Amino acid sequence: MAAVTLKNVVKRFGGFQIIHGADIDVNDGEFVVFVGPSGCGKSTLLRMIAGLEDISGGEIAIGGKVVNDVEPADRGIAMVFQSYALYPHMSVEQNLSFGLRMNGNPKADTERRVKRASEILRIAELMKRRPRQLSGGQRQRVAIGRAIVREPQVFLFDEPLSNLDAELRVQMRVEISRLHKELGVTMIYVTHDQTEAMTLADRIVVLRDGYVEQIGRPLDLYSDPDNQFVAGFVGSPKMNFIKARVLGHSASGVTVELAGGTRLTQPLNGPVPEPGSKVVVGVRPEHFGHAGKGDADLSVTIDVVEHLGGTSFLYTRTAAGDDIVIQRDAAEVPDAPEITVSIRKSYLFDDNGRRLR
Amino acid sequence: MRYQNATAYRFLAPYLLIFSIFWLWPIIGSFLISFQATRTVPWRFAPTFNWGRLIGDPAFFNALKNTLLILVIQVPVMITLAIVMAVLLNSPLLKARGLFRFAFFAPVVVGEVAYSAVFRLMFNLDYGIINKLLNSVGLPRIDWFSNVTPAMAVIIIAVTWRWAGYNAIILLAGLQSIPQDVYEAATLDRVSKLKQFFYITLPLLKPIIVFCAVLSIIGTMQLFTEPFLITERGGPGGGTETLGLLLYRQGFRSLNFGYASAIAYTMAGLAIAISLVQLWLTRDPK
Repeated sequence: MAAVTLKNVVKRFGGFQIIHGADIDVNDGEFVVFVGPSGCGKSTLLRMIAGLEDISGGEIAIGGKVVNDVEPADRGIAMVFQSYALYPHMSVEQNLSFGLRMNGNPKADTERRVKRASEILRIAELMKRRPRQLSGGQRQRVAIGRAIVREPQVFLFDEPLSNLDAELRVQMRVEISRLHKELGVTMIYVTHDQTEAMTLADRIVVLRDGYVEQIGRPLDLYSDPDNQFVAGFVGSPKMNFIKARVLGHSASGVTVELAGGTRLTQPLNGPVPEPGSKVVVGVRPEHFGHAGKGDADLSVTIDVVEHLGGTSFLYTRTAAGDDIVIQRDAAEVPDAPEITVSIRKSYLFDDNGRRLR
Repeated sequence: MRYQNATAYRFLAPYLLIFSIFWLWPIIGSFLISFQATRTVPWRFAPTFNWGRLIGDPAFFNALKNTLLILVIQVPVMITLAIVMAVLLNSPLLKARGLFRFAFFAPVVVGEVAYSAVFRLMFNLDYGIINKLLNSVGLPRIDWFSNVTPAMAVIIIAVTWRWAGYNAIILLAGLQSIPQDVYEAATLDRVSKLKQFFYITLPLLKPIIVFCAVLSIIGTMQLFTEPFLITERGGPGGGTETLGLLLYRQGFRSLNFGYASAIAYTMAGLAIAISLVQLWLTRDPK
């Protein structure tokens, strides 16, 4: 087991910088998820930790030892690839033992490790099969097994579930969680799927365009995002954003006017934006209530209703043209095409997307 | 349904007609000719005339021996060379990859007569560049075309030069179809580049290697141009005469089509047999 520390890590491809000074501390035994949209640099960052990409600047340490110039095999890591990267011409057993055999590991120890991995992942009956004879989920297990036999200090997962169907993804997610509890090893996991991030992580690192946007526990990111990007990225359906203008401030906070005339007052501890400046009000779908029971009321027209069983999502539009998604109990879905809802909780962001607290 | 089939066959008819006349009939016809005595007109049916001669003909066995000798040396050497070339072409360290790829493939495009003439010049006893090079490092010059072994070597070198690049390009396509992350996984497993080559690249490339080998076996069994043009009709003294050349000599110089057909069928049969053995030897264990 080992902690992983990234200090001002930079990656350039030619003249193009794609990681801009990442500072991340992963504690010993922690499960950290790097999440962000495609092209945000999360996989590159993981590959830099693995040693498969050079580090253009900064420092990466594993278990207190700087590994910038250490060979990938000597970093004490094991990686699970998105495509599984199994050796197609070898049986499952050979896939698991290949690395150990190539390095002259004692036969008895290799057998012990392979047996243990196959037991942990329940793949003992697949040992003689080739990868092409396995289902996606089984291949993924073998790929994880290959990481386990290395007995690494840190597990790295590069979007390991993105090639699986939805049901299997949920199942493997639970398995990976169980594996983390069982092995107690540091795990760094890359995904673009915020649901995976929320359900698996001890802490989440949200990345965008090579910048770390926020690091925190899943529910902290959800309930207290630092900026509009994190607020929008974490949570499904995503947070609604409504354009607004600052009217002024008083002892009770800053008052903003939403396009359409709705006024909303929010307490503010930090610097107060100038009256007249543009802001964005963020409201999560579940933070709308019945009219008159929140901070402000908003009239919307219902476009589409999605019934998911217990809850329903109303896809609506304000008179000013803002698209709003509202979560309701299935029993409370109104018949009328136009409804008025209240905003029970909201977030305020400035024109640059920074959170106003 | 039957009507639709009939329509389809009507559309196919022109092709099938031409296919039958120019492809199917010659195949059947030549097989039938091989059972006829064709040295004198009129031809007559004599099943053992050509096939019986084949079994006892020293010229046939000489050509067979030469062909197999070239095959046994040239194909493995060329395939090995092609693999090395493909790996080099695939290396991220290589600059001007497109240029090299073209250069390796170019021999296939060059006219056979032109390239044969160049090889004759290069291996010329008195002013060929090869003998000049041998002299310059203190080795005696070699009379390439007057002795059987050097003449055979020239054939093998020429055929290898001509086809190694072609095979390298096919193998390169195979190499590029091996996913990069398999190598990354091996790197993380502390498997050296050399071991990666022997334990990952070669096994995964095996189907392509077998494909290239079978193509080369078929090609070499039919070898004609090089011994015809470079060593002047299988010289010296039939020392480089191949089955293809013997066939040509019998069919088109002696106009003994029956015997030539028997030789042709023997060549095809051998090529199929050797290829099948090759496929069987390199089959997947399961």
